Amino acid sequence: MADPALGLYVVCDGMGGGNAGEIASALAVEKIHAHLVEAARHPDLSLVGPYDATVSASANRLASAIRMANEAVHRESWSRPDYVGMGTTVVAVVLHEEVLAIAHVGDSRLYLIRNGTIQALTTDHSWVAEQILKGFITEEEAERSPQRNIVTKALGVESSVDVELAEVPVKNGDKLLLCSDGLTRGVHPNDILQILSGSEDLPAMSDRLIVMANEAGGHDNTTVVVVALRDELQAGLWERLKKRFVA
Amino acid sequence: MPETLPQQATLLVKLHGQSSRHIELTQDTLTIGRKADNALAIEDAAVSAHHARIVKVQAVFFLEDLMSTNGTTINGRPITRHQLHDADVIAIGQHRLVFQENAATSAAAPAPFVDLDHTTVLRRTDRTPDGPTLAVKVLVIGGKTDRTEYPLTKQVNVIGSQDGAVIRLTGWFAPKSAATIARRGQTYSISPSKGTKALLVNGTDVVGQQELKDGDEIEVAGVTLKFSAHSETKNTSR
Repeated sequence: MADPALGLYVVCDGMGGGNAGEIASALAVEKIHAHLVEAARHPDLSLVGPYDATVSASANRLASAIRMANEAVHRESWSRPDYVGMGTTVVAVVLHEEVLAIAHVGDSRLYLIRNGTIQALTTDHSWVAEQILKGFITEEEAERSPQRNIVTKALGVESSVDVELAEVPVKNGDKLLLCSDGLTRGVHPNDILQILSGSEDLPAMSDRLIVMANEAGGHDNTTVVVVALRDELQAGLWERLKKRFVA
Repeated sequence: MPETLPQQATLLVKLHGQSSRHIELTQDTLTIGRKADNALAIEDAAVSAHHARIVKVQAVFFLEDLMSTNGTTINGRPITRHQLHDADVIAIGQHRLVFQENAATSAAAPAPFVDLDHTTVLRRTDRTPDGPTLAVKVLVIGGKTDRTEYPLTKQVNVIGSQDGAVIRLTGWFAPKSAATIARRGQTYSISPSKGTKALLVNGTDVVGQQELKDGDEIEVAGVTLKFSAHSETKNTSR
């Protein structure tokens, strides 16, 4: 989802049997948005969870929103037997002036496209990512690993969650890509960079990304949000949510 | 199917005024309360008839408070439903129950027990150790700021007059944000903000972004700063 007035962009990728995953991700997105809308109206709204002094108030507010979403999904997961165990990943950013607050839980990602290069600004909370960090396997091996879908953190699974926060300066000309793992599993970052470079047609770019994800055999509903940072403060954007192609 | 675990999870039960004992958590549900029909019966007026229960879902345990009068806590925090982790201390009145997960911690790959094409969640408790840290700060050599020295504690440190700026400019015409010093891992770099006419590092104009090294001199928006970075190794115990 995207709310340019708040500078908020979010992708959630749900997990759970039947439609529980969709329920979880939709609920998380709604709660995150609602908390930030309320905080914009009442800046003294208390924060949920510990304060991280290495990032701005804006980033702390985003983490707070995600913790609230976690509680909501967790509560909801107990309301019906077919919801038990449901959860969702989240990757979310808040753009304020030229500083980007980044928060994530799980293996949905944020990429920064700048000056013809693409760089992941989040590291997955997944079992294979941790194995790569420890040097036990390579990225290629990770892609083929039977454990590649195991996430070590998600919203809704426990009553409290550890949100990873970061903050970076951004500038005019940058593009941001938030996406679920349905995209990154099948499409190489270089191909993503190709699609996102040299064009300002955001809807077309988002569509092409989804097509590539599905051609690469993506089983997930792939979600992408593409944001282009333009001069006059505001970000131009397009989002293509949950585009499901029936073969 | 989930792998069967070599040892059962157990509960170390320490009732007030009694010696401790272990209960194996073999059943799907373990009820706790004052009445005799509970699996763990506690004779204490402060304990509700049916106070709480421990429920097993696949290989994971949850503690649920059954709307008891005096409540149930885990590690001091009141809960209604909460997943149990190794060494969690459950308190019911003056009685203590310690949840102990099975002893097997495996470095082998966890076996996924659902469809491989769908994401599943694995609980992890280990944390990566701290590495050597840098003591990084900026010293003010000239210009109007509210302090003379600023440790760079944030990932993005704004030099400007705005709320939240780490290096706070106090001059009359100070811009909200003149430049930002961003940290990525152990590297710090400075970049000018929108509208900044000139950002100099060691006398040279900065275009885009520049990595800062110990001793670099920064000039922007009428202030002169010196960047200082010394490494110190932290000894942390796991």
